[in-house]
This record gives sequence, structure tokens and C-alpha cells, in this order.
Amino acid sequence: MSGSEILSTLLGSEVRGDLLVLFHRNPGLIDTVDGVARRIGRTTIAVISEVRELLMLGVLKQKRIGASEVVFLDRAKDRELLESVANHLKTVRIGGEK
Amino acid sequence: MTAARPKAGASGFDQLFSGKEGDGLRVKTGIIELDEMLRGGFMPGDAVMLAGSAGTGKTTLALQYLVNGVKQGEPGIYVTFEELPDQIYRDAKNFGWDLRKLEEEDKFRVVCTSPSLLLESGEDSLLDDVLRDIQPRRLVIDSLSHLEMFVKKDDMRMEAYRVVRYLKTRGVSSVLLWESPQISGGSFSVTDVGLSFLVDCIVALKPVEIESSLRKALVILKMRGSDHDKRFREFEITPTGIKIESAFSNYEGIISGSPRKVGSEKFMDLFRGASEKRK
Repeated sequence: MSGSEILSTLLGSEVRGDLLVLFHRNPGLIDTVDGVARRIGRTTIAVISEVRELLMLGVLKQKRIGASEVVFLDRAKDRELLESVANHLKTVRIGGEK
Repeated sequence: MTAARPKAGASGFDQLFSGKEGDGLRVKTGIIELDEMLRGGFMPGDAVMLAGSAGTGKTTLALQYLVNGVKQGEPGIYVTFEELPDQIYRDAKNFGWDLRKLEEEDKFRVVCTSPSLLLESGEDSLLDDVLRDIQPRRLVIDSLSHLEMFVKKDDMRMEAYRVVRYLKTRGVSSVLLWESPQISGGSFSVTDVGLSFLVDCIVALKPVEIESSLRKALVILKMRGSDHDKRFREFEITPTGIKIESAFSNYEGIISGSPRKVGSEKFMDLFRGASEKRK
């Protein structure tokens, strides 16, 4: 996936942006989708498809703990994606200057 | 701790051959006066209850214990049910502790979750991954009191026991925070759900009113298998963390929260007052 595609997926919606801010500020957060939704002041319905997008991108990971599914930040993958985005942004800026 | 020790998260089998038991080593808090009170530090692998009412400094003391552990080469984990990690990073930075940097170096983790998830039983435990990742020697749970919201009062002791055993089996020294507004009177009741018996050591923090100002007292109520300082010591939260001062030697009734001067000190006050009047 290219840097621009990653960027547009990450910032695809306001809720997704809220989720990214939450997990970046709190990289040790491990919670259910329901719990995550509560922490950003949204409903589970509003959040579930956005979490799915971030899972597909690999920023978030999922794990079963007993009867619950929890989501958490994949720190390594997140760093990798951020690097791709940063590289992409550098290219865009250089292009703009030209 | 400087000698060879079991790897964090290591199995009980590994520990069996590590020489941990009875090797005389202590888990130093890094707060010199507290380590002196503990005769060197906590016992390795022990579960310590840090009890106190809100605002007494439980979180600060617990973070200081973990950060000092990292300085001694012992990675640590802070499990919080209450505050989001970003608040903890911010508050810790005010004391000069850069937790984000320690996380980047894989020496520290703040885990933020719900108590119900910690109690979920299954093949995987919530903490399995993080224990494997950073191999901690120390772990703090802030706070055990939150489990009460998710389990019946009668089950609380069993659930807390499970958490304590999970950590002990992995050779992790734990500090369990406990909101305890009732450390007063003559009963020394720290919890009303019988948790005092589950832990190896209890350190209580208590606000004390002396001469119309609020001061803070620390006392070690219990320490299995070791002698310890039995006195109430005054402490302050300074810009660099907890600083333990001298004992409240001229007061009695500290545990009640409203201490009074001991008889001899009252007599001395009267004597001093009378001699000043004569002048």
C-alpha cells in the first residue's frame, strides 16, 4: 500500500481520526470495541466499522481474552505505517516546491 | 538487585533454579528511607498492598518504585483501570520521569484496560503479551479496588488471589494499590473484603491533621518473613517524588487521623509557656 493510500485510510473519517488520536496518546490501551467507543464518547455502532478499517490496515490488532474480543495498537506496524506516511509527505512537499 | 535472577515472566520452573528463595536479595524501591524501613526493600516476588485514601500519593509512590526499578535494570509495567496513560505520562513528567522514553526503550509499559478484562479467564490472559515483550520484574495495578465493581463481594478475595498468583508464578514483584478510606481507629482494617491476608506486605499512606495543617504519614503494617520499621513516618510529595522524613515521635493517635501530643510533650509545652510568661 502506498503512503498516500495509507494516509487516506487513516484519515478516512472523523471517528477514525478520534481512534488514532486515542491509541497514539494511549499506546498501552487494551479494550473491547464497546470500551474504546466509550472512551472517545461515541457509540459502538458508530465505531465498529472504523475499528475494522484500522484492523485491516494493521494499525490495530485483535485478540480474544476469555469471552471478549479486545483491540490494541500494534506498535511495530504503527511505526512502519507512520514512516511510510512521513516519506510520502516528504515527496509531496518536494513536488510542491518544484 | 545485582545478582543473577530469574527472567521476568519466567516460569516457576526457571525460578526453581535461579536461587531466588532465601538468597537475601531485596527489591529496592529506590527511596532510601523506605528501603531502610523495609530492611533493604520488598522481598522478591512478593505482592505488596499500597493502601490509602485518595490524594495520599499512592500513584506517585508506585510510579517512583517502577522508574527506580528501570534504573536498576528491572523493567516494569503499570496497569491502570482509572486514568488513561496520557494523564500518567503527563503527571510522571512533572516528577522528571519520561515514561514514553522508557517505553520506546522497551523497559516500561503502561497498560490501560478494564478490570473485567483482567479477570477474564481463558487460554490467553490480558497480560501475557506484554509480559513476554518486556520481561518485567515489577508490576503495579492501579487499583485493585476497581475489581470490586465487577465481582461480587464474596468473590473478591478469590479473584484477587488469582491475580496475585498469576504474577507470583511469573516471578513478578507486584504492588497493588487499594483505595482505603477506612485506615483509622483501632481496628487497622485496610480492606473489608479480607485482602490483607492475601498480600505479603502492606504499606499504608494516611493523611494526618496536625496543628490545623494536613500532613502525610506512611507506615508498614505488615511484612511477611522480615522485620520492618513499625513507626509512622512523615512523608512529602516533592517535585522529584516521595521524600520520607522522620517519625512522628512526639505524637500519639496518628492512626486516628487526629493525633495529639504525648503526655510528656504536653507537659513540656506547659513548662515552656509558663517560663515565657515569667519573662
